[in-house]
Amino acid sequence: MTHLVAVDNKNHLNTKIDLSKIEQHGADLHLVPVVLSEFIHLAVQYPIVLTKHGETGQFVFSAMLGFEKNENLFWQEEQWQGLYVPLQVRRQPFFIEAIEHQNNSEHDNNELVVCVNMESPALSNNTGEALFDINGQESTFFQEAKDLLAQLLTGEKENNLLLESLTLMGLIQPMSLDITFVDQSSTKLLGLYTIDQEKLTSLSKEQVLTLYQAGLLPSIYTMITSLGQVHALIDLKNKRLNYY
Amino acid sequence: MSNPIKTVVIVGGGIAGWLTAGRLAAKHKAAEPNGVKVVLVESPNIAAIGVGEGTWPTMRNTLLALGVSETDFIRECDASFKQGAKFTKWVDGSDNDFYYHPLVLPQGFGKGDLAAHWLAKENDGSSSSFSNDVCFQEAICEQGLAPNRLETPEYADVANYAYHLDSGKFAVFLQKHCTNVLGVRHIIDNVTDINTGENGDIASVITLENGNVEGDLFVDCTGFSSLLLGKHYQVPFKSCSDVLFVDTALAVQVPYENVNQEIASHTISTGQEAGWIWDIGLQHRRGVGYVYSSKHSSEEQARALLAKYVGDKFDALTVRKIPIVSGHREKFWQNNCVAVGLSAGFLEPLEASALVLVELSAQMISEQLPQSRDIMDIVAKRFNETFLYRWEKIIDFLKLHYILSKRTDNAFWTDNRDPQSIPESLKESMALWQYRAPADNDFTSNNEVFPAASYQYILYGMGFKSDYSQTAYALDDVDFAQHHFTQNKKLIEKAISILPKNRELINKVIDFGFNRI
Repeated sequence: MTHLVAVDNKNHLNTKIDLSKIEQHGADLHLVPVVLSEFIHLAVQYPIVLTKHGETGQFVFSAMLGFEKNENLFWQEEQWQGLYVPLQVRRQPFFIEAIEHQNNSEHDNNELVVCVNMESPALSNNTGEALFDINGQESTFFQEAKDLLAQLLTGEKENNLLLESLTLMGLIQPMSLDITFVDQSSTKLLGLYTIDQEKLTSLSKEQVLTLYQAGLLPSIYTMITSLGQVHALIDLKNKRLNYY
Repeated sequence: MSNPIKTVVIVGGGIAGWLTAGRLAAKHKAAEPNGVKVVLVESPNIAAIGVGEGTWPTMRNTLLALGVSETDFIRECDASFKQGAKFTKWVDGSDNDFYYHPLVLPQGFGKGDLAAHWLAKENDGSSSSFSNDVCFQEAICEQGLAPNRLETPEYADVANYAYHLDSGKFAVFLQKHCTNVLGVRHIIDNVTDINTGENGDIASVITLENGNVEGDLFVDCTGFSSLLLGKHYQVPFKSCSDVLFVDTALAVQVPYENVNQEIASHTISTGQEAGWIWDIGLQHRRGVGYVYSSKHSSEEQARALLAKYVGDKFDALTVRKIPIVSGHREKFWQNNCVAVGLSAGFLEPLEASALVLVELSAQMISEQLPQSRDIMDIVAKRFNETFLYRWEKIIDFLKLHYILSKRTDNAFWTDNRDPQSIPESLKESMALWQYRAPADNDFTSNNEVFPAASYQYILYGMGFKSDYSQTAYALDDVDFAQHHFTQNKKLIEKAISILPKNRELINKVIDFGFNRI
C-alpha cells in the first residue's frame, strides 16, 4: 500500500527510517525499473532488459530479479542478497511528486515535492535515522535520500534519450526465454525485449557516431553483456528449488 | 518494351480512390523518378457517399502495405476495434435470439471436423451455441473486451480483429498519406469529357481547369455514377435485387450518453420486420441505420422502427436516406479502365463486403499491374473472372443469412426463403451441407472472401443441422474433439483475464500509442 504525504519538519520532526527495513520494498518484485547511471553496477548480477509498462504500454528499462510475478530470487532470509540494490528500492520510502499550482496562472510550472509513504514498514518513531534534527534542519541521511531521488529524476531523462535512439534505429527486438529448471518445471518468458545485435552491427557510420556522441554506446553494450546474468538467475532459482 | 504502363490515373477521391492510389503508389514507387506515376483527379463538389464503416481484418495488411502507423490511423479516423458481428433476432425474432460470426476460426479448423462433434453435442443437449463452443471470441465480445492489449505490438493481436471507422475521416487520412508520403499527384478538378484512342482505350480525361490528364491505365472510382466503366463504356449493370431485397437505408449518427459509455467491439445487426439495423460503435459516436425493402415496408414504418431502436435521442438526429441498388457491373475491367468501389457495384452492408472488395481490387491491380499495354487484356480477363466469382460468392453468402431464418412476421422473411429467389450455386451448396459441414474444398478460389468457417458460423449459428448419420465415423476422433472443446474453454478464461475493455484500450492508444514491436 502507498499513502504519500509531503515531508516537512513539523509533521515529520520525529519520524525515523529503519534502514534495515527499506529493502523489504523490493521483496516481491521480479522486475524493477532502473536508470542508465546504474547499468554498470546492475550488470554484475542482474539481466537488464526492456519491458512494457502495464499502464502505458511504453518501454521501461528493468532489471530482472526473478522468473515469475512476486519472485525476487535475491530476497532471502528477509534480506537483499545482491551486491548492488537498485535505486528504485533504495530510495524507499521516499518519492517525488509534482504539485500543480493552479492559482498561479502566469507560470504553470509544477513544483516538485519530496513525499514519504506513510504505509512503509521502514517508518518508525523510535528506531532508525531521523529526517530532521531537533532544530528542524535536514539530517545527512535525509539529504542523501534526496540525492537518490535526484539521481532517479535525471536518470529518467537519460533513459528517454536512449529509448528514443533505440526506437528510431530499430534496435529493440523481443526475446523469448524457454527455461527448464532442475525440478523439470519449465517456463516461457514473454514480454521481454533486448538489443537487436544484428541490427546494431549493421548501423550506418552516422548512426554509430550519433550513439557515440550522445554517450549511449556503453549502456547498449552493458545491456547486451548483462543478458549473461540470466544463467546466474537460473542458478539461483535452481538452488532455491533444491532447498525446498 | 512497347506501350509501357507509366502513368495510372484514378478518377474519384473517396476511400476507393485513395486506397487504390495508395496501394499502387507504395508498390510501384510513385515517389521515385523511375516509378509508375499515380495521379488522382477528384471533383471539388461531389461529396463521398460515406458508407462503409466496417472493415475486414484484411484492412490491417492494407494499412501495413501503405506504411501507415496503426496508432495514427486509430487517432485520426475515429476508429475502434471490430471482432466480427453479432446477429440478433435473425432466427425467430425473440429477445434471446442471437448468434455470432466471429473473426477467429473455429478451434482445430482444417485439422479435423469439429463441427460434426458439435452437432453431436447439440443432439445430446450438452452444447451451448456453436460460436461459443468452438471459438473464444464470442465471450470477449459479450464482455465488451478489446481484441488486444496496449503491450501488443501494432497490427498484432490476441484475437483476430478488423476496424470500425469514420469513412469521411479515413478518406482524408489516406489522402494526406498518399500525397505527402507516397508521391500521389492530387488534382482537384471536374472531369468534363473523355478522349479515346483508335483502339477504344481512354487516352485522357479532360478537366475543367487542368486540361487533359493523360494516362496508360484509368481507375474508375467515381462511385454510383460509374463515369468511365458505366457511362463511357456502357458496361451493363447486373442487378441482384431478385436475390437480395433491401433497397433503402435510413442512417443516423448517435452520440454516446457519456465519454465512458462502453464501445461494442463487434458490429450489431438486428433483424427487423423488413430488413435489419446496423449498429457500429466508433470512438465518438455510433453509426446506426436501418436497411429495408421498400416493397415490404413504408418509409414511415421504417423510420418508426429506427426511432424505437435508437430511443429518445432519435428526434434530435438527422436521418439520411440512401438508396441501395444491389448488383454489380457485368465486368470490371474494360480496355484500359478498371472500376473499384461503388462504380463496380454495391451490396447491402450485412457482412462489410464493400471495403474488402475495394482492398482486394486495389491489391490485385497493384500486384498484377501490367508492364505493357500489350499484356493488359490478359490481366483484365483474369481480373474480371476473379471478381465475378467474388461478387457471386458474396451474394450467396449474404443470401444464406436470409434463407436460414424462421421469421414469419413479415412477407420480407418468407419471400426471402422462396426457392425462386435463391441462386443455384447456393442451392447446390445447401444440398451438400445437408450431410456435412462446409469445408475449404467447397470453394475454388485461393483467396476466398468468406472462408468455409464463415459459412459454418452462419449455418450452425442459425440452427441448421447437417445429418452425419451416414458417416458416423466422422465422430471417431474423440480425443481431437475433447482437446479442442477444452482448449476453447481455457482460451476464453485466459482471454478474459488479460484483455482490457474496448473503450479503455482505445483511450490508451490515443494517449500513449501502440509500440511497433
